[in-house]
Amino acid sequence: MLNSLHVEGRTLLHRLPAGPKLALLAAVSLALFFVQSLPILALSLAVTGLLYGSLGLSAGEALKRIRPVLITILLFALVNLVLISATEALTTTLRLLSVLLLAASVTATTTIAAFMDVLTKLFLPLERLGLLKAADISLAVGLVLRFVPEIAARYEGLKEAHRARGLPVRLSRILGPLIISTLKDADSIAQAIDARGIRGQ
Amino acid sequence: MHILFDQADLRYGERIALHPLSLELTDRRIGVIGLNGSGKTSFARLVNGLAKPSHGRVTLDGLDTVTDEKAVMAATGFIFQNPGNQIILPIIRDDIALGPKSRGLKGEALDQAVDTVLTRFGIADLASRRPHELSGGQLQLAALAAVVVTEPKLILFDEPTNQLDLKNRALVKAAIDSLSEQAIVISHDLDLVRDFGRVLVFHEGRLAFDGAGEVAIARYLEIAAC
Amino acid sequence: MTTRDLVLAALFTAIIIVLGLIPPVSLGFIPVPITAQSMGVMLAGTIIGARRGALAYGLLVLLVAIGLPVLSGGRGGLGVLMGPTAGYIFGWVIGAFVVGLLAERFVREGQPAVRQMAGFFLASLIGGIVVVYAIGMPVVSLIAGTPFSKVVMGSLAFLPGDVLKAAIATLAARAVMVGYPLLPQKA
Repeated sequence: MLNSLHVEGRTLLHRLPAGPKLALLAAVSLALFFVQSLPILALSLAVTGLLYGSLGLSAGEALKRIRPVLITILLFALVNLVLISATEALTTTLRLLSVLLLAASVTATTTIAAFMDVLTKLFLPLERLGLLKAADISLAVGLVLRFVPEIAARYEGLKEAHRARGLPVRLSRILGPLIISTLKDADSIAQAIDARGIRGQ
Repeated sequence: MHILFDQADLRYGERIALHPLSLELTDRRIGVIGLNGSGKTSFARLVNGLAKPSHGRVTLDGLDTVTDEKAVMAATGFIFQNPGNQIILPIIRDDIALGPKSRGLKGEALDQAVDTVLTRFGIADLASRRPHELSGGQLQLAALAAVVVTEPKLILFDEPTNQLDLKNRALVKAAIDSLSEQAIVISHDLDLVRDFGRVLVFHEGRLAFDGAGEVAIARYLEIAAC
Repeated sequence: MTTRDLVLAALFTAIIIVLGLIPPVSLGFIPVPITAQSMGVMLAGTIIGARRGALAYGLLVLLVAIGLPVLSGGRGGLGVLMGPTAGYIFGWVIGAFVVGLLAERFVREGQPAVRQMAGFFLASLIGGIVVVYAIGMPVVSLIAGTPFSKVVMGSLAFLPGDVLKAAIATLAARAVMVGYPLLPQKA
């Protein structure tokens, strides 16, 4: 459950440190936003497509990862064809596809740990302002990943309990008990964190 | 540690969880038994500063749980009844590393500290596992390892075998018996404290008996029968 | 921020992720199948309040950004955050905050059930629908180039489903209020 979208590899993008890689993604996406030229956008789609294709993902997996956003983009392309000029529709679609492929490439070549390091650095200025503790972010991310499987198991348990009593399984009825039983653990989890002195002393 | 209660009590508004108590404890193993609501958990929470006395004071080696809160917290470890809620990161090894890491340990020294406790409690093979794959007893051992790795002088156990089956209970009992650290064990599981030299019996917010394990258990059974 | 606040927000993020793992349900009378996850904005605000609710959603966005497939249908990664519907995802954070802010003001313990439900429902409609759409729709128009008026018209199709979600979220929020109240109360 919840496997990272990172994929092992030794390509150029894999070796590039996460910070510069994310800066590059932001810069390219922003720049593409101002490009109106069809040939340049077509070229950028070709380049990002080749990049995404060279990361070592199987064709099926590569498609599966981008499918939801891909469908959205194509849907808007169809709508735009009717609503605005064909050239404008094509420009937008090429641009969105390029950004999607580049973003998916960065995601596939960056480990969670590398992302977290960049994030912790990004949050440091906020820490200096006393708004939050950068270390809390990784603690919170850890907590989420720790408890997703537990809560999923709890949901299955509630479903079974409903079936055992012959009640139809309805989300509206399960949601309350699921949330209450989960949040009731917050006190003892928080106590355990404080007793272990994890949030710095 | 030298634990001293000086007329310490704990009140929540009108309700008195623990009547004023004066007590000195230096024993290596201290058991605490009593019915639900007898004040035994309040007692334990007062010891490590999770709860602050409403009156009087509690000190550990002279450290006051109110004014020296951080030093007290650092010198003590707490094991709760629900082992699942004490492991807070997705991988056991990372979770155990969390405490020493926040105290500034890193690199090889950190790895070594974690390896040492993993081996000590016989759970080295579980290091890369996820908490939801472990049994209650294994989780409790991991929680204990995560506490011991920060090198507390005193470890408090709040009904550590409450949610465990017989096999896992034996596992946790053996781990507690093997501790070189001072330990206070609160338990409904009387066998856990039977051979302790000192066991406190609480009843209705007061210390009802203070003595050796077997005698204290006999006294507790009398109280419970009333 | 107390450790308890941090833990409550993280647990709520985990709940939202689990809701995304539940297969979408068709309700028969509404054409679009409903995913349980999109109710999360309303649930977070009405149950754990503005600050913690927004934090829960901030964490969710962060998990998406670092490449975890935590959104319904196994979506995740930077591509989602840079696509045409990115505005809705960022809008959830603000939406959860507004839902919480309103719920904290509208609802208190001891009020009659009907009054509480009305408060939760209104907070969910304003924060969970109006605010989220107000941020999501202009971003769609900006990124996809579709004229704003047409985006608004297209969005209307999702409105009945969203109102229904607000109703379900209201029931859940009231159940939690009775069983284990957590919502901070403001005058």
